[in-house]
Amino acid sequence: MKRLTFALFYVLWMLSSPAHATTFEVVIIQSTALEDQSEGLSFAGIPTHPRRPVRRAAELALLESKPTFSAQDISTQLSILDIDPTTPLDSQLIDLSPQQLIILDVPTSMIASIISALANRNLIVANVRHTDTELRDNNCQPHVFHTIPSDRMYFDALSQFLIYRGWRKVLVVRGPKAIDLRRTEALLTSLEKFGASVVDVREFTLSHHPDDRDQNMPEFLTGGASYDVVAVIDSDRDYGRYIQYSTRQARPVVGDVGLTPRAWHPALERYGAPQLNQRYTDLVGGHSEMLGMTDAEFATWAAIKFVTNTLHRRHLNSNVIDLNAIFRDPEGRVDLYKGTRGSFRLWNQQLRQPILLAAESAVIAVAPMPKFLHPAHYVDTLGIDAPESDCKLQQ
Amino acid sequence: MGNALTTRMLIAWLLSGFITFAHAEIVVSHERSGDLIWMDRTGQTVDRQKICNRPRGMALLSQAQRLFVACSDDNMILEIELNTRNLVRQFSDIPGPMSLALFADGERLLVSNEGFASASVIDLRTGEILARVPTGFEPDGVAISESTGHFFVASETNGLVHVFDTRNYREVALIQTNLRPRRLALDEARGELWVSSEMGSRVEIFALQSFEKIDEVIFAPRGFRSEQLTPVDILLPTEGAHAYVALGSANNIVVINRVTREILDYVRVGRRAWGLAQSVDGKLLYVLNGLSDDMTIIDLDTNRPIRTVRTGLVPHAVMVITQ
Repeated sequence: MKRLTFALFYVLWMLSSPAHATTFEVVIIQSTALEDQSEGLSFAGIPTHPRRPVRRAAELALLESKPTFSAQDISTQLSILDIDPTTPLDSQLIDLSPQQLIILDVPTSMIASIISALANRNLIVANVRHTDTELRDNNCQPHVFHTIPSDRMYFDALSQFLIYRGWRKVLVVRGPKAIDLRRTEALLTSLEKFGASVVDVREFTLSHHPDDRDQNMPEFLTGGASYDVVAVIDSDRDYGRYIQYSTRQARPVVGDVGLTPRAWHPALERYGAPQLNQRYTDLVGGHSEMLGMTDAEFATWAAIKFVTNTLHRRHLNSNVIDLNAIFRDPEGRVDLYKGTRGSFRLWNQQLRQPILLAAESAVIAVAPMPKFLHPAHYVDTLGIDAPESDCKLQQ
Repeated sequence: MGNALTTRMLIAWLLSGFITFAHAEIVVSHERSGDLIWMDRTGQTVDRQKICNRPRGMALLSQAQRLFVACSDDNMILEIELNTRNLVRQFSDIPGPMSLALFADGERLLVSNEGFASASVIDLRTGEILARVPTGFEPDGVAISESTGHFFVASETNGLVHVFDTRNYREVALIQTNLRPRRLALDEARGELWVSSEMGSRVEIFALQSFEKIDEVIFAPRGFRSEQLTPVDILLPTEGAHAYVALGSANNIVVINRVTREILDYVRVGRRAWGLAQSVDGKLLYVLNGLSDDMTIIDLDTNRPIRTVRTGLVPHAVMVITQ
């Protein structure tokens, strides 16, 4: 009853929109046709890592922002642009304008072409999905802002945690896919950066064939080595699920299974996070509380809230919100409900943010870990840093 | 059997009327252990009382010797008689109460309804809800200015302080603040409203009459970056030239000159300092440390911590009992 009243209160509030002078528009670009509908599901339909369209997170951010925007006489509008892969891309993107915040939630197969199709149009695009560090490094683009952490941010957080715990000897187990290889490289770079030693890197296979038993039986795969911890890179979360409790030595498992670096987790219980989780649950219909926001949903929410939290009178030019000025404002900031405010690294336009190290129903630590210090910014020990990169978007 | 006997003896003793309750000068609410701890001025526990789920904000009605406690997860407010520490009344169906403030008439209580984007005014004589006013999301800090006839509610999510009329409960103004405004403190004599911005790492000062921003105080304790400074409670004692702010994750409190707004001192305390109160004689400052489950007692003559006492789990608010 309590929750019902609450939901009703929201709905009435959403509907009670007087005419406003200014509109803040958000457009989500997705491509339902290109999505692999079996992604996140393993053999036999077992869910391993949920992926959802990010629309609800955008709705949540706009709902939360309403009182702030109303105070400035701004209304909001959310629309979805679902790309049809069978027709030319450019014609589908023609109506996008610099007054719209573009949330990019397309699969890997489309990301490069769409980023280049959106270039040189003075647009502001938020990448909420792709963690590839290259997009923040050699392939960084002036119109793309990343609110999802990079692989390096995730793995730097994990590596700091391992060093902090004193688990320095790491056995890396990886999957056979190209994405596994790419993410393993990122993991190895992170481990090296913080001084962990990699005992070995081993590739698993899903085949049950007896010839492959060194690669398909977790006990063999993790045998014949001495290590403090096993780090699993399994982008499909398929084989990796079976490694915990089956390692040759009794050791913790981290990475894509076990203790996992996350941008968001529903078990975060401090920094106002329960309030945000409650609002999400109320919005999506509260039967699946422990599922919470995915990292892509959180990144979507954060991109919109960055506008809400940064917007100032100086960003309004004759009733138009200047999104370029907002996203490039050195004072730009967003309350991330993770204990530290977020802001963009102007040189590569990555949102700096703490990373959660989460087990199934608990957040074990929030990185950066104590004593990992950066000369300029508290969270900048996570991810590639300006001196290491050729990306120089803004100073 | 033994227990029952002891209980019966205890009840008999209580009823005999000879018991005198040890005097408590401070009371601490605990979010996680759901209790109140009553202490003397040195932090010695006098009594510990399991009270409800997630007790947070408190308000003291000294003329009536009553304490009000917001039980956030029970959607209720409890009224406790100070001398006996007995529960005398319960106000139910108050959604997600967080912070409390009493109107000067002593007859109305202002409550922020944290998860419900609103604030309520309760008639303490009848228990009736006189008003429920909409606010931004996550309303926390509240304050009532008798000199201007306004009350204030801070919305954490929206960076807003809502201003309402104390008589007709209409919204009269909106003050835009920095990120995550948490607590409000009034300096009626100087006509100032102080607002802590937890994620903006500062305290902003607004004029009570015009609601314009007058100034802000930015902190820099040694060894912490700006993003780690997360101020919560502000204490503006009615007498004295100082202001005190708890700096949250920066594990310090700061002493500010209220006139020049110059930072006079930082005092290192426990982890995530947020709740503040000053002893009746003005000589001691009590600081609740939310992550280390303890309370630091600071001597205000020297600005040195003199004692740290253990509290319950997640101490939220500390209140000094004035007779």
